Amino acid sequence: MVAVFLRLRLTQLANSLRRPPVHLLGLMVLLGYAVAGTVFALGAVDDLRVADEASVGSMITICGSLILFGFLLIPLFFGSDDPADPRACASTGLPAGRVAVGLGVSAVISVPALLLAVLAASQIAAWADHPGAAVVAVFSAVIILATGVLGARTARSIAAFWLHGRRARETVGLIVVGALLLVSPGLIGIASTDWSTRESQERLADVASVLSETPLGAPWAAPALAAGGDASGAWLLLLFGLVVLAVIWAVWRVLVGRMMVTPQRPDSAIRTTGLGWFAIMPGNPVGAVAARSLSYWMRDGRYRLALLVVPIVPILLIVPLLIAGVWWQNLALIPLPVMCLFLGWMIHNDISTDNTAIWLHLATETSGWADRIGRTVPPLFLGIPLIAIGAPLTVRLYGVPDVLPAVFGVSICLLLAGLGISSAVSARHPYPTVRPGDSPFAQPQSTASSPGQALSFFGTILVASPVLALAGLGLAVGEDWNDMALLAGLVVGVGGYVLGVGVGARAFAKRAPELLAFTLRN
Amino acid sequence: MATEPIAPETRYSLEDGLARFDTLIDQLSSAPEEDPVDADIAISVEEEPPITREPIPEQAPAAPEKSRAEQEPLTRSAARTGGDVALQVTGLLKSFGDTVAVDEIDLSVRSGTIFGIVGPNGAGKTTTLSMITGLLRPDAGEIQLAGTDVWADSSKAKRKMGILPDRLILFDRLTGRQLLHYAGLLHGLDAKTARARTADLVATIGLDEAQHRLVTDYSAGMTKKVALAAAMIHAPRLLVLDEPFESVDTVSAERIIDILNRYVAAGGTVILSSHSMDLIERICDAVAVIVDGRILATGAVADVRGDQSLEERFVDLVETSNAGEDMEWLRSFSD
Repeated sequence: MVAVFLRLRLTQLANSLRRPPVHLLGLMVLLGYAVAGTVFALGAVDDLRVADEASVGSMITICGSLILFGFLLIPLFFGSDDPADPRACASTGLPAGRVAVGLGVSAVISVPALLLAVLAASQIAAWADHPGAAVVAVFSAVIILATGVLGARTARSIAAFWLHGRRARETVGLIVVGALLLVSPGLIGIASTDWSTRESQERLADVASVLSETPLGAPWAAPALAAGGDASGAWLLLLFGLVVLAVIWAVWRVLVGRMMVTPQRPDSAIRTTGLGWFAIMPGNPVGAVAARSLSYWMRDGRYRLALLVVPIVPILLIVPLLIAGVWWQNLALIPLPVMCLFLGWMIHNDISTDNTAIWLHLATETSGWADRIGRTVPPLFLGIPLIAIGAPLTVRLYGVPDVLPAVFGVSICLLLAGLGISSAVSARHPYPTVRPGDSPFAQPQSTASSPGQALSFFGTILVASPVLALAGLGLAVGEDWNDMALLAGLVVGVGGYVLGVGVGARAFAKRAPELLAFTLRN
Repeated sequence: MATEPIAPETRYSLEDGLARFDTLIDQLSSAPEEDPVDADIAISVEEEPPITREPIPEQAPAAPEKSRAEQEPLTRSAARTGGDVALQVTGLLKSFGDTVAVDEIDLSVRSGTIFGIVGPNGAGKTTTLSMITGLLRPDAGEIQLAGTDVWADSSKAKRKMGILPDRLILFDRLTGRQLLHYAGLLHGLDAKTARARTADLVATIGLDEAQHRLVTDYSAGMTKKVALAAAMIHAPRLLVLDEPFESVDTVSAERIIDILNRYVAAGGTVILSSHSMDLIERICDAVAVIVDGRILATGAVADVRGDQSLEERFVDLVETSNAGEDMEWLRSFSD
């Protein structure tokens, strides 16, 4: 039976080469990269033979863990066009167990698996000078290959089973972008570090020892342990690797069983029974606009992307400062106000985001107040708990309890005044944005310059600057200034909100047809 | 597709929906108390039911359930002449740069009738309707809706008006039901009324299957239907529909026509634009032919078309107009 699956897999592989030449060229380029990467890794492993065992082990464990992580992660994005989908075998009447074995084994026949096999074998070569470690390395190689191949196979089916449909793809895409944004400062840090120093070598060893106790690192770390004389530890790690493999197998087996009896649903549309946010919010125009905004913040990729940026910006700000040697406790003060600033700023082009759907507000003669206030509800929903939890946390990390009022004052001021200014700006200075339904990463269809973006951002900072100054005095001098900062923050924040919403409401009421005309041009 | 169970309170049959829709329409005749003009019209409608030139018993509003089944959909020999002037447009003007899109249009639509606007592409139909509905600011002219100036007293006017714009998107990340509820709340209905009317409209326009899906996943025809429902949720006096039948299938179109006929029979007024001359000829009582922003002919359908079909008459009008324009230099002699 397994032979049939293997033959099927080989045929598929051969057929995948029957493509238009352009596709083939792309495929060759990709393959070239993969082979080059493998050759580079082989060279690196070869170099390691002259280095000392400890650093060899560290490097192999770290790189190996990353490779296995890739084998688990990358297939998640290719679930939709899986050529070896277990569901395809449902009509053959084969028992799920045999399908699981057949598909699992035949998954070895693939280019990535081949490259992984080469790498796994090469780490055996790295330990050729240590006979005991080399034996362990042989077992390691088998476990590594099996874990990678079966893990990738399982990940792909998980993606096909659960992560299909537009919404899931959008979500996965956003998570990846988020992860990349998170990782990139770390990579900058890694790239800019001098790894030859003793200190950094020690840090590498630390990372490796942590990884060696994870499912991804264990099989790679075992030979190093054996080379270092800890044979029993090495076999224990191998055993751990086997247990992990068994768990993956169990998941795969259950998944195949489930998939074969679950009919493939068409790209399922979002279905919400009931009224969602409309049932929760009050039944008046303000509540209606708020409920509509909340629904959009949850569903629309453009809002979700913007929301994703809110927590990432402070990280991007902090990492360079941290690397530059700023005391981390000072940096603890940064995230909360920055997030509040961006939350308030998020709605500064809200009408443009609606596109021509704004006609409904004209047709119903929705008052400017209802339109403006309703739109500030989602950021308030997020911002108020954020401040309530974030301010005490910030102060705790900073270590001086006295500054709590100042942190509250600055955050509240930035959020509320920001919302007010954004409300005014979005009714007065809209600018083109990505249309509904387009990818959030797309460029707007038309570009017309508008001062709106900068006006709302720097306007908020400008309005909040007295509060920031008072809070600065609070940090530097002491208690009275902290209370002053809170008071000023409340006054400026609430005042800015009311004034901004008022200006925006008047502008909306007066210019509604012109706003619609703007969205039509967009 | 519809594997999830639908909550019992949202399950309505079509008949339920139509019956409920009639009560929704009936609310037209019980006009808002604070609005004396509306009350006048309502009384006049109640006192003298819509006059028909050659009365056909099936069309009497008293027995709509039966009439719907018996109505002969393809021919209608009589037109309603309607009551008072519901919509009066005078000297409407709009230009974009050097192009005059709407050139001093006058229109008069009687209550209790369906008024059709026809014209070739780019004739200014959508521009005209956008100005009537308060979406596009006119350069000049006046629009009176039952005694209310649409641009001077827009909030009062818009309460009396339901609109279906063409080529404008909806808040399509809401489900159909949420969208209707949203429109209801924005029109000032309380949550309970909005909920009840949403359920009625969902049943009437045959949206039951799709009401919990996002509007963005709807077909073009279904999107039109949900937009039409949103236009009616506040029981307006006047419906302004821009291309209501575009990309709507025949069965749905018949459903919409049926709804519009009942609405008009109860005293409502409809002004709509369409490319389909057959449809206009069939369902409209009066018509205006717009070419290059000017009205070439207007009046009762029978008067406009004469002894031709409306389509032939329309083509004649458009071609004469174009020919005349092409040869304009000939009439302005050089000396």
